[in-house]
Parts: sequence; structure tokens; C-alpha cells
Amino acid sequence: MKSFLNKFYLLGLIMTLTMVSCDEGFEELNLNPTQANELDPKFQFSYVQLQTSGERYENWRAALIYSSTMIQHLSALATYWSGDKYLFNSGYSSSLFDRAYSNYIKDIQDLVNNLETSGENPEMLAMARIWRVVAFHRVTDIYGDIPYSEAGKGYIEGITAPKYDSQEDIYKDMVAELEAAIGQLSGGGRSFGSADFIYGGNTDQWRKFANSMLLRLGMRMSKADAALAEATVRKAISGGVMTSNADIAMLQHSSGPEGINQNGIGQVFLADDNQRMSKTFIDWMTNHNDPRLDVLGYMAVGGAHVGLPNGYDAQTIASVGSDDLNTYSRVNPKLVTVDAPMIFMTYAEVELLLAEAALRGWHSGDAATHYNNGVKAAIQQWEVYDASLAVSDADAEAYLAANPFSAAEGMRMIGEQYWAATFLNEYEAFANWRRTGYPALTPTDYPGNQSNSQIPRRLRYPDSEYGINGDNIQAAISRQGPDEFTTRVWWDK
Amino acid sequence: MKKKLFFTLSLLALFAFTGFAQKTVSGTVTDATGEAMIGVNILEVGTSNGTITDLDGNFSIEVSDDATLEFSMVGYTPQQIEVGSQTVIDLVLEEGVALSEVVVTSLGISKEKKALGYAVTEIGGEDFTEARELNVANSLAGKVAGVNVSNIASGPGGSSRVIIRGNSSISGNNQPLYVVDGIPIDNTNLGSAGMWGGQDWGDGVSSINPDDIETMTVLKGSSAAALYGSRASNGVIMITTKKGGKRKGVGVEVQSNYTFENIIETFDFQKEYGQGDNGKRPTTEPEAYASNLYSWGEKLDGRSTIQFDGQSRPYSDVGDNLSRFYQTGSTWTNSLSLSGGDENYNFRFGVTNLQNEGIIPNSGLDRNTFTTNTSGKFGKLSASFSGTYIRENVQNRPRLSDSPGNANYTAWSMPANVDVNSLLGPNGNGTNDEGTELLFNDNIYVTNPWFAAYNFVGSNTKHRAMGNTTLRFQFTDWLYIQGRAGIDSYTERRTSIEPYGTAYKPLGGMSELERRFTETNIDLIIGADKTLDNGIGISAFVGGNQMERSFETLGGSGNNFNVPFLHTLNNLANRGTSYGISEKAINSVFGSVELSYNSILYLTATARNDWFSTLPVESNSILYPSFTASFILSDAVNMPSFVSFAKLRGGWAQVGGDTDPYQLNLTYALVGQGHFGAPLGRISQGRIPNFNLQPSETSEIEIGADFRLFQNKLGIDVTYYDKVTSNDILFASISQTSGFGSQVVNIGELRNTGIELLLNITPIKRTDFSWDMTFNFANNQNEVVSLLTPEQDGESIRVSESRTRSAYIHHEEGQPYSVIKGFKYARDAAGNIQYDENGYPVRGEFDVLGNGVHPTTLGLTNKFRYKNFQLSVLVDGKFGGDIYAATNAFAYLRGLHKNTLVGRTDGNVGGSKTLPLDEVDNYYSQIYNITEEFVEDASFIKLRQFTFGYNFPRTMLESTPFSEVSLSLVGRNLLLLMSKVDNIDPESTYSNGNDQGLEMFGVPQTRSFGFNLNVKF
Repeated sequence: MKSFLNKFYLLGLIMTLTMVSCDEGFEELNLNPTQANELDPKFQFSYVQLQTSGERYENWRAALIYSSTMIQHLSALATYWSGDKYLFNSGYSSSLFDRAYSNYIKDIQDLVNNLETSGENPEMLAMARIWRVVAFHRVTDIYGDIPYSEAGKGYIEGITAPKYDSQEDIYKDMVAELEAAIGQLSGGGRSFGSADFIYGGNTDQWRKFANSMLLRLGMRMSKADAALAEATVRKAISGGVMTSNADIAMLQHSSGPEGINQNGIGQVFLADDNQRMSKTFIDWMTNHNDPRLDVLGYMAVGGAHVGLPNGYDAQTIASVGSDDLNTYSRVNPKLVTVDAPMIFMTYAEVELLLAEAALRGWHSGDAATHYNNGVKAAIQQWEVYDASLAVSDADAEAYLAANPFSAAEGMRMIGEQYWAATFLNEYEAFANWRRTGYPALTPTDYPGNQSNSQIPRRLRYPDSEYGINGDNIQAAISRQGPDEFTTRVWWDK
Repeated sequence: MKKKLFFTLSLLALFAFTGFAQKTVSGTVTDATGEAMIGVNILEVGTSNGTITDLDGNFSIEVSDDATLEFSMVGYTPQQIEVGSQTVIDLVLEEGVALSEVVVTSLGISKEKKALGYAVTEIGGEDFTEARELNVANSLAGKVAGVNVSNIASGPGGSSRVIIRGNSSISGNNQPLYVVDGIPIDNTNLGSAGMWGGQDWGDGVSSINPDDIETMTVLKGSSAAALYGSRASNGVIMITTKKGGKRKGVGVEVQSNYTFENIIETFDFQKEYGQGDNGKRPTTEPEAYASNLYSWGEKLDGRSTIQFDGQSRPYSDVGDNLSRFYQTGSTWTNSLSLSGGDENYNFRFGVTNLQNEGIIPNSGLDRNTFTTNTSGKFGKLSASFSGTYIRENVQNRPRLSDSPGNANYTAWSMPANVDVNSLLGPNGNGTNDEGTELLFNDNIYVTNPWFAAYNFVGSNTKHRAMGNTTLRFQFTDWLYIQGRAGIDSYTERRTSIEPYGTAYKPLGGMSELERRFTETNIDLIIGADKTLDNGIGISAFVGGNQMERSFETLGGSGNNFNVPFLHTLNNLANRGTSYGISEKAINSVFGSVELSYNSILYLTATARNDWFSTLPVESNSILYPSFTASFILSDAVNMPSFVSFAKLRGGWAQVGGDTDPYQLNLTYALVGQGHFGAPLGRISQGRIPNFNLQPSETSEIEIGADFRLFQNKLGIDVTYYDKVTSNDILFASISQTSGFGSQVVNIGELRNTGIELLLNITPIKRTDFSWDMTFNFANNQNEVVSLLTPEQDGESIRVSESRTRSAYIHHEEGQPYSVIKGFKYARDAAGNIQYDENGYPVRGEFDVLGNGVHPTTLGLTNKFRYKNFQLSVLVDGKFGGDIYAATNAFAYLRGLHKNTLVGRTDGNVGGSKTLPLDEVDNYYSQIYNITEEFVEDASFIKLRQFTFGYNFPRTMLESTPFSEVSLSLVGRNLLLLMSKVDNIDPESTYSNGNDQGLEMFGVPQTRSFGFNLNVKF
């Protein structure tokens, strides 16, 4: 009996000791050992750039299914390719909005806030602020009024229901941000270096990019506020914009090791083979004997390129053409690989905007020269995807010779070339088409479409915001107009 | 003595003591027929000292001099015998409703039921082993008042959702704590489907083997659970495993159960119109391919019509596709147990093998359970050990909800003229000649069902060890110390493969995941039980508990197989690794004092203090008390003669609660493996952390009464409770434009009030024939009282979203927990639906459309016994809840729903104008976006369980080695007696989480039939 007793006391002692020993580290238990309390700004900037390039999700839905087919770059018969049928699919329509705030606006706000707080790295801060404009302007261009000044500040300022700023205010602030950031670019401190996938931390190229962005934003306001547009464009030009295809703002993707490294558009093409080159785009190139036909398009079965008309499904196509998708041009597979670069802005766009500025009298340069530079750059820029896509100077110049710039037709020609130059940068292509009206696209007339058979002027907000940020979204709607495809955003009015 | 009803706490002063002598009492217990009774509980009143009778009805127990022994057994009237000078007690127990059952309560302490100031329900093990469920928790459906069991439509090995007295936390766990032999076990859901699809990876209770369950006791209220701490605020389900008893030799029990199951056909899709689009049948192969998910074609006329594969087949109804796709499932369970023991020592060893084949081809579950229970008594020291090892292998957990890889989605979506077997392909498994997915429509995300079933892999194996060891030392007959250590530890190995050649992922992808879970509990209790001469009994203890748990995940995953069809991690072109850990601990001290007076009045007070590792150091401690009282009215005053027993009870209790780990600080995580050598980092949380969190608090008032009338032929047990959770720690959804999806806040308040009614009626009771009815009813009114502080915008929390993106589950102020929200039809003042210029209905305001949780549950069991035959029938029902039937929304979109027949011939769809025939489909597709149309009343009544058994009489067995043999025919979920939902089963939600009320292409509910054979040697 005694021995049992002793054993029992021993066990009791062991238990008590175990309980006491476990108590050490009780507080530390709630610190996640796999996470850090601080982060090198480089890591976060790299992450934000990759995420702004986008996941397959929003590239598929907002960029390709909607934007690319609405402006007739691409076309598809499958009914879930709702864009050129002007059908509303709530999740597709809101996809950019749904991903932007949580995937990169949150982190860019945190990064800017941390860099501002520390104050030690003005150059990094400047680049982060410029990139924040890149992120926001695409979202506001697609949706109009959006949360901007209060967005992404759930932790920093505890704002859980951000207000929607008017697009006018957003544009004015983005212009001010770019100007301020340009001034900060030579401020010194650490450099992002290779953590910056766009320019490797090169401040000169960032300055050109920021001024080019200023040019894009300035010109975007040409309908809504011509005076501000002109002033902004002039400031941008005097600040110094992109000067060659070497200045293209693009992010080089790689095939792995994980999904985040890949090009979202490339991922779509890996998974989806319903989309073809639009008849509008193929015909435009064919009619102008464009050397880009074989660069951008690909006929698997050989023969002349055939574009797929927009606005049809597998059944209704019968009235206008074949329902066999193999008879239509695909996008050149070399452009849509998972390790393709994602382009944010090109030198060609800049030259075309300069040509427009010259036509408008906002710039002293020669419109024809800028036009020719722009078109040549646009024809030749595809070699950044693959060396085999290079077009010779001679071919590009022959095209220009055959299709000479005419000032009388200048706005149309610039608009059409801008449209071709921004192929695969569908957010930008959709925005510039809305502003300029070029190319003159014929809307489709799919039964049951939800835009009165007109090409949509924006995408619709997520349903989720109605439930959770109701007052603010209602304020935006009463300012901007109903949450419909046909409502025009501020700079499009 | 009966008149002395009053005493004060000053009697605590009598908590002085002297030693008592010990002596041994033995005897035999028999029933009225003189047959020896096995397993009669014998308890020394006022103590936890007890034993049970052996195979020959013999018992022996060491008791104190002035002990009173209580003899009880379910189904018999218990008797109390004052031992006095007796050393031999032979007793005859009369049949009757047991009034003083001994039940196991918190911390595994046995109590007389009549001493309890709260409602407790105990269910015997045979209720889980005759007509079986793969997840034993589902067997509780309809059996206990106030316990709401949701049958999740997720297939074998799936999770359960058991809610006791309503949901009381917005974001936290609402399921009860499961306790096995006094030690908590884990019931974490390892993953369930959401809007983008997914699988139900099972939960903790799903692997518990019913064959080892002696009883399951449901402690419903907070006061019943105060001693288990925060996790018990949702009630406790205590599982007591079978133990050996005193007997001659080794007892052998063999149980064999075989059932087969078929889907319950609830589908009633239209069979008049065939595949096609815009009112036209396909005329070319590409057209047929593009429209294979749509039934917007022409009226079926038998004409030869081209299909997706270029073959022409008659344009006519091909019959029942579902019975072609779903097979007959089966479950085969065999268990063997050995048990034995003497006065001081007992053991039981059990082994069970379960093999299940699911109704979806190529899916099923295997489970092997080994369990052992031993205890020994060495004078004043007693020790026990119980341990269980479970190996569970689930093959191909079905993908649910969204379409990728979801076989159900496609099998249900076939147009009437397309035979699902035409999708089998040349290899009979949904592949084409190259072995890649045989495509049959232009939406690559709608996977060929055969390909999903035969080529996708979603399997896991769980190795789980649970056990506890207890040492108890009885210093004197009234003072003891007890230490206990328990562990629940499992490793889950999971393999998921999207094979090479999957249409939406042509190069395929896979993941391998290993998750290790461990929870340890160590507790130490010092207690005293004493009955004083003046009829006052004291039972008290103090103790401490330390709980630690960790969840570790290690995985590898990636995409794009280099070598086709070689599905292994090393063959992936892109791959990454992941590691995660989540740890928490709770330290507690607790105590309890129970005072009783002459078995008439019982008062119990408890207190517990918890310290949570998950909360800020300054506010991580909470002290919470409980008080309960039980008053045996029938023993205190003279009652009319028809009253056999009457008891009143009441209690008040509080329980504190915490939250998940790592909710306090913002942290950063590295993402992937960098990009061109540059590391990637981001904010790790999608939820705004909060460093000011406090413990949440639930308080509950419960009152009840228990009456037995007319010689126990009628028993009535009613309970009313009012439970309020305040300071609930919730994950409030916020605008995504804040950068975060939700924030952790300490502001929720929920209230659950309800009544529970239990009726036991014995209309007929004769020697050869008896009829017993048990009826339970519960109604729980739940209200989300407060969610957000006034300065914040909105008072609604979104928990989840349907794949249709037009229905949501919200928790909303002033509404019950888990309401379905969505878009109504736009209507004018008179209530008429508004139409746009196309003649399509207009989507109106966003509003609450239904209640995802049924407030009312009931169950009725009728048991008949005629000689050796027994028949038991359970009918149960739930009322007042709704379901968003996304399947029906898709049936509108696809033209499968019968309602879409209106207007197909004349364009007169009943709207504002007559539509062109090629726009009829657009009209119904527009309704797809209108949530109101698909929120349906999910009330139902089901014939839940049926058993018909025969016990072979002992006379027949005399010449055999068997001591008992019984054989029964069993069935579960046999009939859907009442349902208001079209096409789907009303119990079809795919999630077991806090988002109840969403349905979409789950595994169909099944009915099972079979037999059960039980043999004892």
C-alpha cells in the first residue's frame, strides 16, 4: 500500500510540475511563429507589383471576358463570354474591384504609410506613390467613383466602410500625387533595385514613366475638363516622357515556381480556348495590310486570317459564319504564355498621345512625326514577348507609307492605332475607346442584352458593397448615375 | 424528515468530519421473473462509489457503515436500501420508468439524475449501433429535445452539425464539446465546401466508433457545462465507452451490420423539352457541344438529333440519368469485443472494421477502430486507462457546390435527351482515347461527372489516438484526490489530384498535405462527499485543468505535370511548400459545492476561472459562476396519488469564451518563393486584428419540471431557457475596399430563448406486449441583438455567399442567426412584379428572405414489444427554416425546372408581354439572378429510423455457446413524409459552419436498409 501511495504522490508531483512548466511561454503561444512583425519595403513592393499585374481571376473576367470583347479585340461564342453580348454577370463584372482592394491596394497603402512614417527612403516612397496611382486609375476607369482616399486603410486608420470619392476628385488627386512623387524621386535613401520588376529601381525611367502616366491621366480628362487636361498634358511633356520601347512599363512573368509568378492572361489561355481574334480587329489589320496580322493572330489551320464576329453564340453564329472555332484566328500563343510580360504602358501609347496633344494644340511637336513614331513602336513592340515577333524597320515603314497620317483624319487614325497598340492591355484599350470613340465600333445586338444594344461604358459594382457599404455606394450612385453598364464615368460624360 | 425543507449555508460549518469504518456488502439482483439482472448500477448515495452486477446478477461493494445503496437500471424502478447492519442484500427490481437514474455529468462525475438542476438526456449505445450513421453524431437527429442536427449533403466521412439550444456565437464555434470518458476530444472541421466548391474533409466526431459507446449523455445548458469551461458553452456531449464488468470468464460480443443505400429521388425536372438553345435543337456538332448544359431546345419528338460527340440519337427522354450515375452504396460493419473482470479489476478490448462504398462511383470509407479499457482497484487507489486508435481512410470525398470536379453538378444537369452514359467515353471513365477529359460542353469548368468520379482524387487517411489515464486515491471514504491526463492526437494525410488532362487545368495539379493535431488535458481534483446524520449531504471538489492544443500543417502542392498522367509531387513543373501552425492554451481552476438535504433539495454552486492564451495578457482572465437547484416536490409534500414523481429545477450559469489564436497583431507573411530572386511579402491577415479583445460571456437561466404520472405511464419533462451571449468575439465583415474582409471585434450580442418538451408515454404495458412512445419537441427563438457599435456603418455580417452570387448568409441585427439574404423581385405598390422593356422581371431590393436555421424540431419514437419481437419507428421533423436552392436557380438557367415550361410554345411566360420564342430562355435566366424565387421553406418530416428486431429466447440458446442473440432489420432516412422544396432534399446544405441555409449540387440524401446481428458468448 505504501508503495502505491508513494507512486501516487510521485505522479501527482509530476503532473503539477508539468502544469507549471507548461505555463512558461503562455503569452508567447499567441505569437505566430511563421510570421513577421515588420517587413522590408522591397518585399512588399515586389508583391504589390506582381499582384497589380493580376491573377487569372480578374484578367479572365474584367480584362478579357468583358473589356477585350466589348472593344472587339477578342470574340467568343460561349455564352459565359458575356462581354460582347452585353450580358450582366455580377461576379465577372465586379472581378477587378473584388481583387484590387484586397490583393494590392491594401498592401500599397500599408507600404506608403510605412515609408511615410519612417521618412528614410524618399525614393522608395516616390515609386510606391506612383505605383499606387497605377493601381487606382485602372479601377476608377472601369467603375467610375470608387473608394480612394479612405480605401485600404482598414488597419492603418480603422476605416471599415470607406466612402466613394468622385472620379473627378480621384483624378485631381492622382495628378497631384504623380507630381509630388516625381519631385521626390531624387530624394535618395535606399533603392528598390531588383525588387522593382518594372525598371530595376532606375529613377530616370521611373521619372519618364510617371510623366507618361501624367500624360495618360491628363488626356483622359480631355472631355470632362479640357483646361485641366491641357495643363496636365503640358506638365507631363515638359517633365519628360518615355522615349523608346526600352521604356515600356512592363512586368516580366515567369513560368513558376508558383501561380503568383505567372502572367494571369497566360493562365487564362492555358485554361480557356473559347476566345478568338475579333472579326473587327482582324479585318482592320487585313484592310491595312498590317504586318501585325501574323504577330498578333494565329491560324492553326493555315490560310488567311479570319476573325470571329462579336455578339454571337454557337447557335446564332450560323447566320453569319461557321460555328467551327478552328476556322477562326487565335491569339498568337507566343503572346499569351504564362511567362509573358504584362504591359502597363508603352512608348507607342505615349507617342500617340503626343500626336493627339499636337493635334489639339496642347503640344508644339509635329502630330505626324509623333504618329509615325507611335505606330512604328506599336508594330515593333511585340518583340518584348518573343524575339521571333520582331518586325523590321522596313516593314513598319512600308506600313506607314501605305497608310500615311492625315491631319484631317488624325483623331480617328490615332484612336485606331491606340486601340491596336493596347491589345492585351484591355483596361486601357477600353478606357481610351470610351474617351475618343475610336475605332468606330458597331455594337452587337444579342437577344436579351442588358445595355440596350450599346457598348457598355463601365462595369458594375460588386453586389457585396450594397450589403456592407450601402450608404457610401448609394451616395456614389446618386452622384454618378445608376449602377448600369450604360452609365458614363466622369471623364466620359 | 420530509417536512424539514429548509436549511442554510451555515450548514457548511458541518463540513467537519470524522473517519468512517468500511465494510463489504454483496448480494444478487433479479427481475420479477427471477432472472438474474446484469449490469445493474449500484451507487452508494452521496458518493461516487459504485459498482455494477455481473452476469449472474451478483455484486459486491465496499461501503461505509451508514451507507444507503441505490440500485438502478434503465427501464426499472430504482430502489434505495439503507445498508444498516446488512452484509447481504438480495433484491428484486421492478420494471418501470427509472426515476433516479445515475447519469454521468461534467468531468465524468456520476450523479443521481434527480440531483441535477438542469436538463440532461442520456441515450444508450444501442441507439447508435442498430440503425447506423457513418457519422455517429447524425444518429442524434430527432432523439433529444433541443438538439438540432443538420444532415450535411457531403457524402461518406462528412461532417455533422449539432446545435444545442440554438447558435450562440456569431463567428465562433457553435457546436457542443465532445467528451470521451471525461476528457475533451477535438471536433474541428477539417474543411468544408464554400461558394467556389470544395470538399467536406470531416470533423472529429465523425471517426468515433458507435460500437464502443455505452451511453451518450447530452448536457444541454451552460450550468451543466460550467465545469468544462468556455468550449462547453454550447453544451456538452459526453460519450462513455463500454467497460468490462464482473463476470465469469471472458465475455465475447460480436456485432455485424450490413446496410445498403440508394439516393432518395427528389428530382422532378422537366422531360418535355430537350437539349438546345433559343428554343432550337442543335443541328451541328459544335452547336450540340455548346448547348449540352441547356434544355432550351424543342419539344422532344424522337427525331434523330446530333449530340456533342457527333452521334445522332433520338430526341427523346432517355429516362433516369441519376440512377445510371449513382450506384447502390453499402456499409458493412463488424465488431468484436472481449470483456471481463472481477471486483477489483475489469477490462474490455474491442475491434471494429467498417467498410463503406459510397453512392458516387469510386468513393467510400474504411475505418478500423481498436479500443481498450481497463481499470483496477488496489485498496484505496484506483487506476484506469482507456485508449482508442482509429485508422480512417476516405476515398474521394465528393466535390460540392461549384462545378469544377463536382460530379453531382453535372449528373443533375443533363438535358432530358442526353444519356449520362454517353459521357463515359471509350475507357468507361469519362476520358477520351488520349486519357484526357472527355469534353461534352463548352464550359470547361463543368466537369464530366465520370471523369470527376474516376480521375479526380480527394482522399485522406487519419490516424487518431485518443486516450486517458486516471488515478484516484481515496484518502478516507469521503475524501479523494484524482488526477487525469488525456490526449487526442491525430495525423491527417490528404491527397488531392486534379489529373493531367482535366479540361480546366490541362496539365493538372495536386497537393499533398499532412496535418497534425494534438490536444492534451491534465487535471487534478480534490473532492469530498459526505452525508451527515441530519440528512444533509455535501459533495464538493476543487481542481485545476490545463489544456493545450496545436495544429500543424505541412504541405506540398503545385501545377503542371511534366510526364503526363504521372501524378506525383516530384513530377510537378511548378510546386511550392507550405507550413502553418496554430497553438493555444487555457489554464483553469474550478470548484463545485453541492449540498443536499434528505434527497429532497439539492443546491449546487460552481465557479471557474479561465486564462486564455489567445487574448491580451491584461484581459485574458475571466471568472464565472453557476448556481443550480433541484427540488423533489413529490418527496417534500403529499401529492395526489396519480403523481409518481415530481421535481422542479432551476439554474443560472455563466461561461466565458475566447477566440482563435493570432487575432491581436498585424503581421507579415512571405509569399511563394519570390520572383526572379526577389522575396515577396504581404500583410498576412485578411481580417483586421484587435489588440483590445476581452473574453466573451454567455449567461443562461434555465427552469424546468419533471413529472411522472399514473405509475410512470406518463412522463413530462419541460424546460425553459434564456441564454444571452454578450461581448461575443466576432469576425464582422466589412467593405472589401478597406483592404480586409472582416475585423475582429468584441461586440456581438445574441439571445436564444426556448422551450423543450419531452413526453414519455406507455399506453400499453403487459407481460407480452408493450408500447412506449417518446415525443420530444423544442422551439428555439434566436435573435442577433447587437452586432456593431452605433458609430459603425451597417448592422449586418456576411458569412458566406452562394456560387450564384445572388444569395448570401448574413447575421443581422434584429433577425435570427444565419438569415438568407438576396434580391427580391421589384414590385409596385400593389405587389405586382415589375418588368423591363424586354419583358424580363426586374431585380428589386436586397433583403432578408429566409431563416437558415429551423427554430422548431421534433421527434416521435414508437417502440412496440411483442414477446421477443421489437419494433421501433422514429419520425422526426424540423420546421420554420428555409433554404436557398441554388440547384433550382441553375435549373431555371438551364431550362430543367418544370416552371420553365411556361411560355415555351407561345412566348407567353406570364410576364408583361409575350416574348419571341428565342428569348424565353433569357427570361428564365434573368429569374436566376432573383434570389427570392429560390428561397424555399425547408420544413420537413422524415421517417428517420426503423428497426424490427428479434431476441432469440434463452431457451433456444441453451444448447448453443451463445448467451444472447438478436437479429434486426434496420433502416435510416426511409421516407420524406413532408417537404415543401422542389427537386432537392430539404436537408441539403453543404457547409457545417456558421453559414446555414445554402444548397448547391451536394451529394443526394440516401435511404439505407440492412440488418444487424448481435451475438454474445
